[in-house]
Amino acid sequence: MATSTYLSNPVVTVNAVDLSDQCTAATITKTVEALESTAFGGVARVYVGGLQANEVTLTLYNSFASTETYATLNALVGTSTNITIKPTSAATSATNPIFTLTGCYLESLPLINASLGELDTIDLTFTGGVLTSATS
Amino acid sequence: MTKYIIESEKIGKIGDEFEPTEGINVAALLEGGFISTAGEAKSHKVKSEPKE
Repeated sequence: MATSTYLSNPVVTVNAVDLSDQCTAATITKTVEALESTAFGGVARVYVGGLQANEVTLTLYNSFASTETYATLNALVGTSTNITIKPTSAATSATNPIFTLTGCYLESLPLINASLGELDTIDLTFTGGVLTSATS
Repeated sequence: MTKYIIESEKIGKIGDEFEPTEGINVAALLEGGFISTAGEAKSHKVKSEPKE
């Protein structure tokens, strides 16, 4: 049985910036909106596919150091950008595909998430955009 | 055409030219210090003042 175990080598880029060393969780969800097409005579609800409504969520350590988290994200709020996620840092292949969300929107950015004695982490959600995958 | 130079290892080799792909927010990269503008290639020819 093959499963995917994520240890230390997934690769995450936001707006072409490699934030893998600040990222602790990444989820990319492919969604195609369901449009109901049930009509008279039907005995169950049926649907057809509508528009894509994809989403990426990331958990990152917050850092105000030069060219780190804050420097990457601050100017992206309210704009669209690209995100790539790859399961491992190995070469892109059929067993290590790279997913790209092009034109996804960042609505908000937590600036401070301060708790005594804990590292500052932030959760981000990018919505929309066109999702593609590549194996080479 | 504006040429961009990589200033951070987080997007590539420092000093190399950065060619943004479709969808990349170049303004954000400039503001964050990841790239700099090398400027447009301009002619170095200086026009002399017309002789009277």
